[in-house]
Amino acid sequence: MGYGNYIDPFAALRPDYTVGAGEKLELTFVVLPGESRDIDVAIDLVGEGAEVSLKGLYLCGGDERVNFRILMHHRAGGCVSRQLFNGIAGGTSRVTFDGRIIVAPDAQQTEAYQENHNIVLTDGAHVETTPQLEIYADDVKCSHGATTGRLDEDALFYMRTRGVPEAEAKVLQMISFLSPVTESLSEAERERTNQKIITLL
Amino acid sequence: MGETDRIIQEFTSGEYKEGFVTDVEQEFVPKGLNEDIIRTISRLKDEPEWLLEFRLDAFRKWQAMEMPRWPHLDLPEIDFQDIIYYAAPKKDKDRPKEIDPKLAETFEKLGIPLKERDVLAGVVAVDAVFDSVSVTTTFRKTLAEKGIIFCSFSEAVKEHPDLVRKYLASVVPAGDNYFAALNSAVFSDGSFCYIPKGVRCPMDLSSYFRINAKGTGQFERTLIVADEGSFVSYMEGCTAPMRDEQQLHAAVVEIIVEKDADVKYSTVQNWYPGDADGKGGILNLVTKRGICKGDGAHLSWTQVETGSAITWKYPSTILKGDNTASEFYSVAVTNNCQQADTGTKMIHIGRNTRSRIVSKGISAGRSQNSYRGLVRMGAGAKNARNYSQCDSLLIGSKCGAHTFPVIRSDNPTAIVEHEATTSKISEDQLFYCNQRGIGPEEAVGLIVNGYAREVLSRLPMEFAVEAQKLLQVSLEGSVG
Repeated sequence: MGYGNYIDPFAALRPDYTVGAGEKLELTFVVLPGESRDIDVAIDLVGEGAEVSLKGLYLCGGDERVNFRILMHHRAGGCVSRQLFNGIAGGTSRVTFDGRIIVAPDAQQTEAYQENHNIVLTDGAHVETTPQLEIYADDVKCSHGATTGRLDEDALFYMRTRGVPEAEAKVLQMISFLSPVTESLSEAERERTNQKIITLL
Repeated sequence: MGETDRIIQEFTSGEYKEGFVTDVEQEFVPKGLNEDIIRTISRLKDEPEWLLEFRLDAFRKWQAMEMPRWPHLDLPEIDFQDIIYYAAPKKDKDRPKEIDPKLAETFEKLGIPLKERDVLAGVVAVDAVFDSVSVTTTFRKTLAEKGIIFCSFSEAVKEHPDLVRKYLASVVPAGDNYFAALNSAVFSDGSFCYIPKGVRCPMDLSSYFRINAKGTGQFERTLIVADEGSFVSYMEGCTAPMRDEQQLHAAVVEIIVEKDADVKYSTVQNWYPGDADGKGGILNLVTKRGICKGDGAHLSWTQVETGSAITWKYPSTILKGDNTASEFYSVAVTNNCQQADTGTKMIHIGRNTRSRIVSKGISAGRSQNSYRGLVRMGAGAKNARNYSQCDSLLIGSKCGAHTFPVIRSDNPTAIVEHEATTSKISEDQLFYCNQRGIGPEEAVGLIVNGYAREVLSRLPMEFAVEAQKLLQVSLEGSVG
């Protein structure tokens, strides 16, 4: 990869997965409360028509340290990659998300998307997100988005006016915030994940 | 030669119209960088002891520092001993008060009026800097009536030492980064501007920087102080001759915005970008930072970056006061072998602080264009809000467009949103224009101008027109 003479922190990352022509890869990461994790994933898309879907969620309510480092390297044209990482940080947890999409020269007709959304629950929690695009081909559709914020006051108010207790309203909102990721899980896993949300309050 | 031929030739050869050299007698200090050189510069400028100490302290800090290696750039090794740090046009002894007609002519040619004309609309006060010295500052008297100080930095050191001493390096400390430290050690001239309490500056203030001498670097320093409740719109422009060698430009801009004051800072950067093969050009390594110090202060950055071989620049705002706001609007165009790594930093410290970032990158040829930004929500930034949008447009398959935003949040009530897209000019858009008789080059110009409109519309009027033309010229020859 690389360009110029600058020092690239991603240069040392070796690919964990190589996805060839017409192949499809789907991965979902779940980090539950109490777990501190460093998750490094590097994926090379090397054949035309390769498709990758990467999802992740993290729930931190204590003093967890969760660090994601994701490298999506489009080496061949005509590939599609989608990434979605949603997480909630409470307590005194620290979460970092460092993601990069690289589109190599001549990897035309690439589609690459990356999203990272965070909810910060407490004063002590710290979230740092760095979604990056490094693009060397012109016929591409690439985008990334990142947000950090809080639970939606209006939505909470709405639910409370309808008799939903505050704690439950918060949990409901968090379940829905995570649902784009949890929908890729099996029924049992989704249930287990949703059960854990209450521990964040 | 027929008229048509002449126009065609002008169009194809004269891409960088500001690339001429002014033949004027100049005095230089010897090449190289050491404490003696710094003492010489300080002596030539007749500076007080404290400023010399400030320079030497910065120089010692710089010596212990290393070139930054994190930007997405192919930075050449810079031989700091091979640069002349001070070059000034010689003053004519017979007419010490007047401006050398050659210099006046130069600025006239660049479209910068050094004479105060009675113009009804669009009056701009200009501080014109030629290599290491300020040539003249216009409308000083008119401004002084309102209590506004607008002069060259060297004059400010002599006439308003208390103000300079109070604010110098208060936003960008001497050891802030490699190039800021270098600037603090060897800075020559620049503009100083102070708007007193409650005064609305009646005209736009402007600095124009011109590099002329060969083998030199330009190290100017600008300090803008807007006292409580004041307003000023400040513009900055720059050009340099075409040369095969690369020249260094390492400036520092500091802006202090007190309670309820409002500063609008606009830049059209048009340094010589080097030729089509990347030979020559200016290395534009600049530190710009403002602080919204008091409650309710507002600072807005608008920049159009079309020149320079390498641009390394992150105009930033520290939102310290409560209810302060800042915006960053940027269009960065790179063509041929140009490289740009530019963006902003928004540091939210106060409550209810707001910031907005709109960055439009356009890369063509074999250029590399990066957006790099930081949005930081401090623990006390209650209800702070940021929205960032970074779009990249690619023209041609050999260029690169990159986005490196960093978002840090330490506050549960702060909301940050970042969005970035990368795309190219679609065939459909081009086809549509062609079909209506608009040639490919013109069509690209049209589309690019539309794409950059959100930013261009923020510029003061005279600047907006110039910037639009520049966009067109910068992208010449990039289609096809």
